[in-house]
Amino acid sequence: MTRRILLRYSAEKAAEPVLASVIKETGVLVNILYADMDTKGGEILISVKDSDAERIFSALSKRGIEFQEIKDAIRVDWDSCVHCGACVSLCPTKALYLKEDASLGLDEQKCVLCEICVPACPVRALKIPRL
Amino acid sequence: MVKKTIEEINERIRRGDAVVVTAEEMVEIVKSKGAVAAAKEVDVVTTGTFGAMCSSGAWLNFGHADPPIKMQRVWLNDVEAYTGVAAVDAYIGAAQLSETRGFDYGGGHVIEDLVRGEEIHVRALAYGTDCYPRRELETTITIHDLNQAVLLNPRNAHQRYVAATNSRKETIYTYMGTLLPEFRNVTFAGTGELSPLNKDPTYRTIGTGTRIFIGGAQGYVVWEGTQHDPKRELGTLMTVGDLKEMSPRYLRGANIHRYGTSLFVGIGIPIPILDEDLARTAGRSNEEIKIDLLDYGVPRRDRPVLKQLTYAELWEGKIELNGREVPVSPLSSLKVAREIAEKLKELIERGEFSLTAPVRQLPVDMEFRPMKQPTRIITAGAVMTREVVVGRPEDPITKAARIFAEKNFDHLPIVDDENRVIGIVTSWDIAVSVGKGKQKLSEIMTRQVITAREDEPIDAVARKLDKFGISGVPVVDARGRLRGIVTSDDISKLIGGGRK
Repeated sequence: MTRRILLRYSAEKAAEPVLASVIKETGVLVNILYADMDTKGGEILISVKDSDAERIFSALSKRGIEFQEIKDAIRVDWDSCVHCGACVSLCPTKALYLKEDASLGLDEQKCVLCEICVPACPVRALKIPRL
Repeated sequence: MVKKTIEEINERIRRGDAVVVTAEEMVEIVKSKGAVAAAKEVDVVTTGTFGAMCSSGAWLNFGHADPPIKMQRVWLNDVEAYTGVAAVDAYIGAAQLSETRGFDYGGGHVIEDLVRGEEIHVRALAYGTDCYPRRELETTITIHDLNQAVLLNPRNAHQRYVAATNSRKETIYTYMGTLLPEFRNVTFAGTGELSPLNKDPTYRTIGTGTRIFIGGAQGYVVWEGTQHDPKRELGTLMTVGDLKEMSPRYLRGANIHRYGTSLFVGIGIPIPILDEDLARTAGRSNEEIKIDLLDYGVPRRDRPVLKQLTYAELWEGKIELNGREVPVSPLSSLKVAREIAEKLKELIERGEFSLTAPVRQLPVDMEFRPMKQPTRIITAGAVMTREVVVGRPEDPITKAARIFAEKNFDHLPIVDDENRVIGIVTSWDIAVSVGKGKQKLSEIMTRQVITAREDEPIDAVARKLDKFGISGVPVVDARGRLRGIVTSDDISKLIGGGRK
């Protein structure tokens, strides 16, 4: 089991090597799923092993980084979905896939909320959860 | 030799002992028992397809207003319908966009909303005549208020289609869906072994008058569809059905991202198994149905075929291309297509759907020809400047500044040892870099260079300039080597000076 954590950087924190120092201090293997940063700050989505999560939380708190655990994934409106599969080849982590019976499947654990699938759905069945 | 007639099969359907199987079941039966035994055993094979079919629409009759109006233009929820016929008839096309909501809502959605029984806002304009004095009208209707609502689709149920991918460096948005850069995904349309026309590829049992399942109702084949191309196994159907009897489960409005709107249409056609030949074709499997993989990155009518694939390979969800594994998206829903084939099977088994013989055969020898065009296509290669001054990544910025000052141009392609374009510097980049203490061109150049090919039509190049907000593109060969440059000035000159 992995857990996904969204880190929010203010402008001054963006200038510091925060994540590098967290990794160095904790020795935790951090997987960066997504990052959007500029000089005004930004956010990084990481995933870590379940057993490492608490150590990462405290290291982040110590450095004054705002963070939030992401338990959500893209939402599928199953009443709307026509199982066409237009989304599956766009999904970078194969969170969206076609099952053996040709219906759409969603592995919420794999979703990195990149949102590329959302506008690509021809019947608007994919929705962004509120973070 | 097995020989059956449609009358005999209908008699069995009436008695309730016709043997009906879906196209997927038929594939297995023919595989295990052979075509002769399959022809003896099976009476009807049901097919199904459910995909976005843009060439769809509905004829609506509103009845007369008082005072009466001869509609000259009419909008349904701000989507314009065609009224160049009698006073209160109109055709709403699936691909027509809303004038207020753009890509978010179109004719396909109006049709779905009608089927759902939703209220539709109607607005019409007219010039006024002695018999139809009214010049404006605004009202709200539902499908029940219409005299007729007839789905009449000029081109549906493509026999097979193509698979698409994209060689360009940027994502493109096409009617084949979103195509990621540099061959990073593949999309394809059609349901292969479930697709109606693949099961009777010489159209012996499918023609004018064939009763079909369409949008959840019983409808008919009217004619061959537009662009019918039987010699290449790319047959199409023109179809008709009563919209008032249809269901949103099998008729759905669609948005094709940054392309337009469309309509998912569910179609199922029963194939009577009259003899072994029909058993054989109805038993064709996904392994036997080929499909071309085209490069949609090439903005030309004749896109290069990169590979020939089969539906079986595509349904695996990934294919191999240039030594890499590439994920695949179907665009037609196999799940709903299966559901349609099953539903049609049930209807026939229950005696609620009988078969009809075509009263006119579809042509088997016509071709789909390209448009006759009066003008020659102007390509990037024809208008590009061939003598391009280039820079190297290690060159100092001052050198570029000097070139721009002396030569009166704004784009400096940066090339490597083999003349491949690896970056571009514009006069704007130089302006920005001043005062930032940058030294070399490699520090300021744009590395994601938008390029064009020599055979690319100038209209496609103009679209790139507009889409990316740039004023020039290097023209490169297949290996990325610089051949020339086209700027917005070159394109302006074409328009200003008239096309040669």
